[in-house]
Amino acid sequence: MTTDNKEMLNADGTAVVNPDGTERELTQFELYQINKKKKGRKERAKRIISKVLIYLVLVIFALWILAPFSIVITTSFKTDGESGNLDFSFWPREFTFESYKAIFTYNAGGTGMPSVIRGFINTLIIVIPPTILGLFCSAMSAFAFAKLRFKGKNFWFSFLLFTMMIPGTIMLTPSFMIYSMIGWVDTPLPLMIPGMFGAATCVFFMRQFYAGIPSSLIEAAKLDGMGYFKIFWRIMVPLSVPALLAQGILGFIGGYNDYFGPLLYIRDPDWYTLQIALTSFKGTYSSKNSTMMAGSLIALIPTLVIYIVAQKYFIEGIATSGMKL
Amino acid sequence: MYLDKVHKKKGVTKEGVAGFFMSFIPVLGFLIFGLIPMLLAIIMAFMNIRGFNFNGATWVGFNNFIEVLHDDMFWQSIVNTLYMSVSTFINIALSLIIAFLLSKNIKGKKVFRTIYFVPYVCSVAAITLMWTWIFNTRFGVVNNILKSWGMDPQDFDWFNDEDLFIPVLILMGVWSGTGYGIILYSAALTNVNSALYEAAKVDGANSFKSFLHITLPAISPTTFYLLIMGIIGALQEFARPQIISSSGGPNNVGVTVVFYLYRRGFTYFEMGPASATAWLLALAIVFVTIINFVVSKLWVNYDN
Repeated sequence: MTTDNKEMLNADGTAVVNPDGTERELTQFELYQINKKKKGRKERAKRIISKVLIYLVLVIFALWILAPFSIVITTSFKTDGESGNLDFSFWPREFTFESYKAIFTYNAGGTGMPSVIRGFINTLIIVIPPTILGLFCSAMSAFAFAKLRFKGKNFWFSFLLFTMMIPGTIMLTPSFMIYSMIGWVDTPLPLMIPGMFGAATCVFFMRQFYAGIPSSLIEAAKLDGMGYFKIFWRIMVPLSVPALLAQGILGFIGGYNDYFGPLLYIRDPDWYTLQIALTSFKGTYSSKNSTMMAGSLIALIPTLVIYIVAQKYFIEGIATSGMKL
Repeated sequence: MYLDKVHKKKGVTKEGVAGFFMSFIPVLGFLIFGLIPMLLAIIMAFMNIRGFNFNGATWVGFNNFIEVLHDDMFWQSIVNTLYMSVSTFINIALSLIIAFLLSKNIKGKKVFRTIYFVPYVCSVAAITLMWTWIFNTRFGVVNNILKSWGMDPQDFDWFNDEDLFIPVLILMGVWSGTGYGIILYSAALTNVNSALYEAAKVDGANSFKSFLHITLPAISPTTFYLLIMGIIGALQEFARPQIISSSGGPNNVGVTVVFYLYRRGFTYFEMGPASATAWLLALAIVFVTIINFVVSKLWVNYDN
């Protein structure tokens, strides 16, 4: 076989044309090479097409997630008159902040503050103390369960695990009875006090984290004369800031978005949380759709901001613990 | 070992005391706010209670259970709840597909993941108001699109038509629920042993076959987890149908089991039947979970 580059394939690629015009059949090796080249090109094309298809699906899915928000946003900048008009358009004909003004002046309660602002403040009052205190108690408990030896440790830990499996629905009626008998109904206390003791899921997650910290660190601190609480506070807490943040954020967002709890326990409009204030607009403002969408957007913004800022902790926290809000 | 023995010999060590007190607050919290109500719930299910205290309460044996089990509304609420829980299965399938595509060496993977997860952090109240506006019969986007396609929007009265109410809820559930599955599946997919794929390739398996025989079994614990959590969550559905229609929707299709419980206990002030309902639901959840665990032995593969 010659490697002369004047040698060419004939028109249908089945034989080699010699420079003198005669033809000869392809050798096995030449056939193999030609097929490989064809196959490679075909495979590359296939790969590119499949990549494009994958991106297409992912982008369409992202649009499906984002599209509803775009409708909330555009509606919130329309007038209530326009959003209640049969002649529909995606973009506002008249771009206006009217519904935001309306939502910030709407007042369902007795005090002078608009419901949205009071709802937001109430939510912070109700959610932040239990989140922080609960996180502290859970982390301390998790440290003890992970690193200290004490009587009944395994029993109490399995006990906590068991509580995670009880459907919360069972607790609704008896808790309400108890809170009603001790006069806590219509106060934010039922939403605040239980959470301050910590949460089993948080203990479980933090225990996993502390179990991974070498015990030699604790032994060394003990030799330095540190007490157990000091070891927890000075060594364990600083080491676990990312995990604590993840749990804290999850706890805060869960509390901020809670609907059933405030619905049951809070009847006084002056104690409405943001979520309850929002759904109360539905009754009052049933025909004012732009105002309602402005309200929804305002309620969504705080969690969205936290999510975007802290998404690293967030997504990792969920991926490693399977935590539900 | 030696140190262990020293610690065991002493009855009360400093470590033992510290460990007990440091660990005890969450346990105490559960004893007070969990165990006491639970015990009370058992008692309440067998009582006739007027209002929110025990004044004049009487024992009625199993009457509350019998009464609830004879209430057609209770059975309808179970059917409604099960119908709504269809979204759980769609979520699992869809989030697996998306997570699988994301695992294919995609640029901007993090951006996609961030977007998909957004609905999960949003409040149920705001999201539900959003969807009720989108599916508004006269002014909503969906019906305006249908109108532009020549259909009569009055035929699609989503939240007042008992055949359409739950399908919209399922759609809402799929929209907000896939992000969670995508995150968990993404984590699971990166942990699949890549040597298995190489081996399959050498054996001549195409990508579909290796997905079926390697990926699916390897991530089956995640599927199982999502299934259990999804079903338990779906059985306790309440907020979304209640926000859409606090009266229970057209012909009560929006009344889930928890909605039924809420109505009996907190609207009609019948805490006895409400507690009985809670126990029936809890039993159903335990039952479904046990079945899931038993069946899981057939398809969940823990040795990766």
